[in-house]
Amino acid sequence: MNTLVSVYREREQTILGGGFILLLILAWEFIPSLVSLPRGLSLFFTTPLTVVQTFYQLVVENKIQSHFYISAIEFAVGLAMAIAVGLPLGLVMGRSRTVDAMLDPFVTAFNATPRLIFLPLFILWLGIGIWSKIVIVFIGALFPLLINTYEGVKNVDRVLVNVVRSFGANEWQVMKVVVLPNSVPYIIVGLRLAIGRALLGVVVGEFFGASKGLGYMIASAATNYKADVVFVGVAIFMGLALLLTLPVKKIESKLTRWRPETAKTF
Amino acid sequence: MGFKEKYYEYQRPILGMVSVVGLVILWELVFTYLIPLNPFFFTKPSLIAAAFTEHIIRGSLWSDLVISSRAFISGFSLAIIVGIPIGAVMGWRRRVEYTLDPFLTALYASPLVALAPLLIVVLGVGLVAKVVLVFLLSVFPFIFNTAAGVRATDRLLINVVRSFGGREKDLYLKVIFPSTLPYIVAGARIAIGRGIVGILVGEFYAASEGIGFAISRFGDTYMLPEMFSAILVLMIVAVALTEGLRKLEVVLAPWRVGQEAR
Repeated sequence: MNTLVSVYREREQTILGGGFILLLILAWEFIPSLVSLPRGLSLFFTTPLTVVQTFYQLVVENKIQSHFYISAIEFAVGLAMAIAVGLPLGLVMGRSRTVDAMLDPFVTAFNATPRLIFLPLFILWLGIGIWSKIVIVFIGALFPLLINTYEGVKNVDRVLVNVVRSFGANEWQVMKVVVLPNSVPYIIVGLRLAIGRALLGVVVGEFFGASKGLGYMIASAATNYKADVVFVGVAIFMGLALLLTLPVKKIESKLTRWRPETAKTF
Repeated sequence: MGFKEKYYEYQRPILGMVSVVGLVILWELVFTYLIPLNPFFFTKPSLIAAAFTEHIIRGSLWSDLVISSRAFISGFSLAIIVGIPIGAVMGWRRRVEYTLDPFLTALYASPLVALAPLLIVVLGVGLVAKVVLVFLLSVFPFIFNTAAGVRATDRLLINVVRSFGGREKDLYLKVIFPSTLPYIVAGARIAIGRGIVGILVGEFYAASEGIGFAISRFGDTYMLPEMFSAILVLMIVAVALTEGLRKLEVVLAPWRVGQEAR
């Protein structure tokens, strides 16, 4: 008995957290057999077991792979473009006061506004193919990366910069020796946020005017009252989000252990 | 001499103005003299300005804005009412945090917006689905920021109040609430962007009115100047809200400025 208590004490956090999720899933599974739902609602209702079965079936029948493939391409290309543009631009903005002052109004305005607002415009310009989604992923992921890189460069210790300068380093060497290493924790935060925004861009981009992709699968399943397929899609996005952001979060907390605690952001 | 010093003092705003105005003028000139404008594909500032003034005079966008903000305010208020108490309990009681944290973190990290089509099909096109969507997206920043704020409350202050015989009520009102408030405001700033996403997705997907609907309708009918002016309106609203809250954060907790990455 005592060992049981001590095992619980040791793993209280995992047991409570995992137990709660398990409890919710079980409750969801058994609700329909305990209470009779009104006909209107039962049409849209599904249980976790059905969702798992549907997922298995979709995979076996090869119906989900092509959607997944398209979404993955949009995500990867858009995010890669955002990194390729956001990091250098953030570095330059952080180092040059003139560039910073000139771009700041645009960065502030675009960062405050959800970039989703441009989706109809991108669809009009680029059509309903893959490119309008890539651009929406790109523009969504760009600003967290840009701003966090900028913040990192701005927070570099001025003394270190001056020391390296005094020893005759040029701007490029200052960047390599001091600025970049010091910005890494910030860039990682930016990357985590960017992953979240990129996923959001994929989902929403595919809701409108698309004919392939996981977002499209969710939207068309919803209009056909296939709640189980909707939840398969939602579960995939949830899984991907956790799979992609939690490792980054781990690295982040290792790198920023010395910083004061701030709330979670996604 | 005096001029140069003045310039250095106001360098930032001057350069910012120059780049914005310069871009607008360049945009206008390029499409007036260099490249013939295809009105179905692009537009230029003078046409946007004309559409913008017409919107304001006729007040057509106004009603869309009112419709959208009604859904936004309802969902957002609900997020505040639900999120802050949950966050406070999570920050105050360790076991509650252990229990809820993994579940809520998973929801916060995942794009819950994926539920939008189902919500709209179930709840119908209209206010309710949008309110639920805004709530779902904006409740998490409130929960996690309130929890972080409560956790970050100075233990020493709590002990002082207790030692001097303060009641639990004093503890909550005089120590914990004031020290959590800046965190809540920071959460509100994050939540605003997410809430607007909810409005936009709800209205892009299926709606007959609202600012998101206006933007997608203008896009579908190739009314580009109108579309740009609607986008501009929403941008102004978003910037005003976000920057307003940022200012409030500075007023409430000047020592925290720059600690949190955006």
